[in-house]
Amino acid sequence: MRLPPFEVLEPATLKNALSMLEKHKGKVKVIAGGIEIVGLMKLGLSAPPYILSLRKIKNLQGIKKNEGQVIIRSNTTLREIIESSLINDLFKGISQAANLVAAPPIQNRATIGGNILQNSRCMYHNQSELFRNGLKPCYKTGGDMCRAVKGGNRCFSVYQSDMAPALISFNAKARLEKTGSSRTILISDLFTGKGENPISIGENELLTDIIIPIPKGQYSSAYEKLRIRKSLEYPLMSSAVFMSGNKNGEIIDACIVLGAAGSYPKIIDRASKVLKEKKPSDKDIEEASRAALQQVEVADNLPVPASYRRKMAIIYTKRAIQKALKDLRKDRQL
Amino acid sequence: MKKIMLTLKINGDKYEIITYPNRTLLEILRDDLLLTGTKESCGEGACGTCTVLLDGLPVRSCLLLATEVKNKEITTIEGLAKGEKLDPVQESFIEHHAIQCGFCSPGMILTAHSLLNHNPAPTEEEIRFAISGNVCRCTGYAKIVEAIQALSNRGRE
Repeated sequence: MRLPPFEVLEPATLKNALSMLEKHKGKVKVIAGGIEIVGLMKLGLSAPPYILSLRKIKNLQGIKKNEGQVIIRSNTTLREIIESSLINDLFKGISQAANLVAAPPIQNRATIGGNILQNSRCMYHNQSELFRNGLKPCYKTGGDMCRAVKGGNRCFSVYQSDMAPALISFNAKARLEKTGSSRTILISDLFTGKGENPISIGENELLTDIIIPIPKGQYSSAYEKLRIRKSLEYPLMSSAVFMSGNKNGEIIDACIVLGAAGSYPKIIDRASKVLKEKKPSDKDIEEASRAALQQVEVADNLPVPASYRRKMAIIYTKRAIQKALKDLRKDRQL
Repeated sequence: MKKIMLTLKINGDKYEIITYPNRTLLEILRDDLLLTGTKESCGEGACGTCTVLLDGLPVRSCLLLATEVKNKEITTIEGLAKGEKLDPVQESFIEHHAIQCGFCSPGMILTAHSLLNHNPAPTEEEIRFAISGNVCRCTGYAKIVEAIQALSNRGRE
């Protein structure tokens, strides 16, 4: 599989990178670890005239703690995150999610920015040109039909990032820069809600930082992921849980986020409500897990049937809640 | 598309290559430098046969643009042996019959080599996790794990 032709831009500073993005707006794709973009180009799903490499830009990598938050620069590899004791101590769920991405050789190159900004996937779309040419174009490729859902009136492709649900459970933010200005938004606001084009980021913008607030008091987190094999797989369903508690063993706050359950990570508000302000019983945990189901939007477009993924949304949410709860009680003797 | 000049450091040797920018490291290694020990199978990062070491860490050369690895140390399977003397990992793979068809072996051996460099006495679980990105379609994983474990024990003695 050969790559389509392109020119490589190698800015040495962030400022130059931003001005190049501005200059070639719409015609340039950023390469960090390259895991996604190279794969898409090989399949003919992306053919940008320019590739902008981040490799020469210094300081776009690293993890640091300051004033109640931890900042991960966007070009930081997943390996650095897995090996960071700071992340593992403060944000277990995020560390667990990074550890479950693909396999070590991918984690050695893949970056947190790339993982968050990945496109949504579908087994009818992420295929070779030969395969796709045998079918009519779908919503994702500019047509007006969905191959996965008969009569479907929109794209049902799945956003399969592991990092985004875990980060959202901690209320993490993303800093986006462009020439002359920058904005910081919640990672949960980075999504359009549309399968065709899941990420809402300007063509001249660059994701530079992930900012994770350090929660106050006693808290714990967990990430659970469904996949067929124990490695090398995108999540087929996943659940990230954050919870904080008080000395009486009550849950003060909880956030449950599903991954691979639609075209964006789903925050399950009802599950948090069920768990909050009480010592959750087994029945409460069951109810919170079942609440996950209400926001799952799945179709038969991944290697396992939608019906199975729906059931697993409950199971994996329950596992993540139990794991986080166990951790909360163990650490703090609640 | 204009050709560009690339300087790559592979197995301690410096190569100056004039090529198109849209080429992967794997293509340069196999097609231009005839270092065919690095294999191509899936071409999309899912199998691990194209594994090379980039600054000592295993990565997918099929997903790596050659322009991205300028000035970095690249090690391929050809770079492990010192003359006639095989690397201990290679010897252990032979000794434990950890090679069946051999197609995954370059990737497996490089991954194991990197693991042992970073962690001289890995547990079985750590070994299995380290090679979890390398697929062996002969399914000879047990022998591969044994071969690496033998060296791990040596590290402990």
